Amino acid sequence: MGDATLQIRRGIAESIPLFIPAIPFALVFGVVVGESGVAPWLGWSSSPIVFGGAAQITLLSLLGEGASVAAAVTAALIVGARHLLYSVTLAPRFQNQPRWFRWLGPYVLIDQVFALAMVRHDEDPAAFRRYFLSVGFTFWTLWMLCTAAGLFIGPLVPDKWQIAFAAPVLFTALLVTAVDRWQKLLVAVVAGGLTVVFADLPNRSGLLVGALLGIGLGLLLELVRRRK
Amino acid sequence: MTVALAIVLTGIGTYLSRAIFIVALAERRFPPLALRVLEYVAPAVMGALIVSMLTTPSGDVQIAAPELVGLGVAALVAWRSRNHILTLVAAMFSFWSMLALFA
Repeated sequence: MGDATLQIRRGIAESIPLFIPAIPFALVFGVVVGESGVAPWLGWSSSPIVFGGAAQITLLSLLGEGASVAAAVTAALIVGARHLLYSVTLAPRFQNQPRWFRWLGPYVLIDQVFALAMVRHDEDPAAFRRYFLSVGFTFWTLWMLCTAAGLFIGPLVPDKWQIAFAAPVLFTALLVTAVDRWQKLLVAVVAGGLTVVFADLPNRSGLLVGALLGIGLGLLLELVRRRK
Repeated sequence: MTVALAIVLTGIGTYLSRAIFIVALAERRFPPLALRVLEYVAPAVMGALIVSMLTTPSGDVQIAAPELVGLGVAALVAWRSRNHILTLVAAMFSFWSMLALFA
């Protein structure tokens, strides 16, 4: 078995546990589409077209509530605006890569792919590329299947199970993996705390405000570290 | 047809937000300070995202004892084991136990 096969297998194997938190999203998505009155196949088409659970759920629930196209799209894009941060952050890793990969890679740049790609410190661009694409398209395939299944199963899961809690749990696990010095832990806690403070801003924009202020704190901490 | 239009617009916007810097910064050199600050993006976004996931659509943050215990167990198990499945099982089990206790 060559290196390439090994990297691809590793990408697939590391994706599967991280897909688990997406399953409640797929079920919630199924519930939202069912309640919106949008034809199931049309609602599902947002999976390949948008490929972002939080944005898809926001879009379809607002459309279902009778929001205008402009309002629903704006809200969904604000929810997805953290992708701008991912794009900036991963940009250095996409240098020394072929152009086709710079255009194709972003299509599968979801939260989990970002988290997995960030903790990889591959020196070799080809290894990074194989890993990134195998992770990305493993999630893609599972998401297409699970959102389709969610259209049927979502309405059947009892509310009291609160399976949506699996999502913050798995992101906590990802956060712990990403923290390798106290400054990062402080930034994460401050960003989370500020998101609580700004929770009632419209369209979930508290998330963005909290994250941006947290990154600002990171900048300050780095400036202090340099002076020492 | 308005639904299809909304989905396509969201798809284009989402793709652009993921691609813009990767494509635009392909040939630029990054200053060292910028690279170090970028390391804080993941912790900041994840911290904010976790809270956002515990927020109801009307803007109420739902963090009570069951959530705190669940996330605390998640952090501890993830830190000790680095195993996501084990983390998920332990955290969900303690979350459900707390819910049952408080119900």
